[in-house]
Amino acid sequence: MVLAVQSSGQRRVSRRSFLLAAGALGAGFALDGCAPAQSSTAATEITFYVSKPEVIGYFDRVIEQFHKSQDAVRVVRDSTSSMSADFVRNQPPDLGCWNYNFAVAEFVKHGALSDLSDMAEAKSINPKLWPLVDQTAQYPGRTSAIPYSVMAASVIYNKDVFAKHGLSVPTTRSQLVKICQTLQDANIAPFYNTIKDTWTVGQGMFDYSVGGMVDVPRFFSALGSEGTSLNAGSAASFQKDFKAPMDRMLQLAAFANKDAASRGYADGNLAFAQGKAAMYMQGPWALNEIAKTAPALKLGTFPLPVTDDPADLKVRVNVDLALWIPEASRKKDAARQFLSFLMRPDINDKYNADNNGFGVRKDAPPASNPALAGMQKYYDDGAFYLGASQLIPASIPVSNYAQSIALGSAPDALLKTLDADWARLALRNV
Amino acid sequence: MSLIRTSRPSRTSSPSRKRRVEPVFYAFLLPTVLAFTLAITVPALMGITLSFTDSVGFGEFKFIGLTNYIAAFSDPAILKAYGFTIGFALVTVVLVNVVSFFLALGLTEKIRAKVALRAVFVLPMVISGIVIAYVFNFLFSNSLPDFATAIGLKPLETSMLANPDLAWLALVLVTAWQAVPATLLIYIAGILSIPADVYEAAALDGATAWRKLASITIPLAAGYIVINVIMGFKGFMNAYDVIVGLTGGGPGTSTTSVAMSIFNGFGSGDYSYQMANATIFFLIAIVIALLQLRATHGKTTF
Repeated sequence: MVLAVQSSGQRRVSRRSFLLAAGALGAGFALDGCAPAQSSTAATEITFYVSKPEVIGYFDRVIEQFHKSQDAVRVVRDSTSSMSADFVRNQPPDLGCWNYNFAVAEFVKHGALSDLSDMAEAKSINPKLWPLVDQTAQYPGRTSAIPYSVMAASVIYNKDVFAKHGLSVPTTRSQLVKICQTLQDANIAPFYNTIKDTWTVGQGMFDYSVGGMVDVPRFFSALGSEGTSLNAGSAASFQKDFKAPMDRMLQLAAFANKDAASRGYADGNLAFAQGKAAMYMQGPWALNEIAKTAPALKLGTFPLPVTDDPADLKVRVNVDLALWIPEASRKKDAARQFLSFLMRPDINDKYNADNNGFGVRKDAPPASNPALAGMQKYYDDGAFYLGASQLIPASIPVSNYAQSIALGSAPDALLKTLDADWARLALRNV
Repeated sequence: MSLIRTSRPSRTSSPSRKRRVEPVFYAFLLPTVLAFTLAITVPALMGITLSFTDSVGFGEFKFIGLTNYIAAFSDPAILKAYGFTIGFALVTVVLVNVVSFFLALGLTEKIRAKVALRAVFVLPMVISGIVIAYVFNFLFSNSLPDFATAIGLKPLETSMLANPDLAWLALVLVTAWQAVPATLLIYIAGILSIPADVYEAAALDGATAWRKLASITIPLAAGYIVINVIMGFKGFMNAYDVIVGLTGGGPGTSTTSVAMSIFNGFGSGDYSYQMANATIFFLIAIVIALLQLRATHGKTTF
């Protein structure tokens, strides 16, 4: 209740919600929205941002549950893509539940997010995940965000097609190439590629090929120390270190549907669900989309073999959702209260089970979807990497470059451009 | 036209007679001036200021002089975006104006179903750009390749949007399809405002249709051509939604427009750098506008 007393004076309708209310439904709704403010219940109202539109329903039910469990904190859920604008106006949400990638990186690096290291929830996190968080962005001495859900991505394969042709999951490159040839001879597209949508190329064949043979964290830290002087002669460079992965990527691009250049993500999900290809380089988010067309399709996953050494097998991960509380929030205690509620094992685990995520706590159960079982071992062993396309700053259109390479441009020229872009970025970020 | 034309005499004649302007006119201007200042001028000045800093859009920043500008001028990605945007705007403005001018000629003649046809041609104007882009995206990615395969037209069997050399053409076509109606309406109004007796006189003198077009219609509609070209060019320089929906700036970076690169900087920590880009873009737009006004000076009636 101390909480409530402290903040009762700060209660205000945010500019966004006010404009939305006024604009969309007129004065009636606006008055309605203000009504609780005049009532005597002294609850603290916090804004809660969720970045994924497909999970809003889940969080709305959690919020309802939270409201039933206590009276001191009211949560207003908001989903908007203009998070940057709200930080610019110094009116960020009180609690964010956001994809932990370059979109949040700047806020972390500039200390716009508060330290959560003292929370019990931070201590419950699987320690193997912290390097992923820090690699994306960190602020010295702070735990700026707590992972909520991790997505692991690799090759999705159609178990029936594999069984029909007597194929088993490959662990080396040669096995993979042999599988591709067998399928091609049987007139089945080995891979379904969707080159029209740049991001699918970036997160798929590009990231998998790089992560399967390059030590991603070490490469990027070496690149960071090169800075403006990055060129072909540097200890680490895109031209040198990404050349082999790009050649392997192109080798696989040849084993794909003939119309890959004009296909997008939605086309890919549909075609794969219809059994038009055996393998699909997509993340677990595609599983639910595929299930819309073919709910009974038996799917499995395996990390893309890029070398002939099975020890190199790794899965691509990303911190799909992480919780954070901005420094600018004036209701941090209330936000922390809701954060703790969200992190309760039953709520956190249910979220991950429903959304094909991997658990983030030390005591989290394995992924429940059988299609993800092929990645569990790698995830548990920490055999994972953050996608290179996510570690290159967003101002460098790396997925577009990857698309060009997949469409037939010479990799060398584009890798050289990448090096030059990186050096230029270092120049203006001095 | 009538609106624009009448504004001239009132402006030149009234101040010479009357010293004082009715204060109510200032009141008319006030809302627009306020809105313009708050929504355009102030943010623009803030943006220009930030272009000399290392700001990422929020938090602390320090002034770094011309670093962003120097980096921008040596950035091939930005130079390429300018090349693409200006080329795209030039081709589109020519295509749009030629098509709409001739459509307007047809639609002002005594043809059947004139009103219905006008309605059909104006239809694209009421559909939002992103919707148009998605519909055409489907056509270019599916229908056109299927059609090309059926008739054996090799180069078009893969989507135009996936071809770095052809994607821009697809963008020009879709943008033109969307932009023709507004231009067309202005041309129809312009052509209808040409007095009929001029044509009658020409007909009596035995002028051919071609001669009437070249010596009457085009000169008397010159003001409308200028307006359409200037407005069109300015609009196409800002191309954004159709490109996002059709190619996302690809394949590769071949169709990334300046507006897209500026906007992308907002979410990627490249805020001040792209503000510098925006400032350069603004200056270029001003120069183009001045050149166009100068080139057309005296050729218009307003």
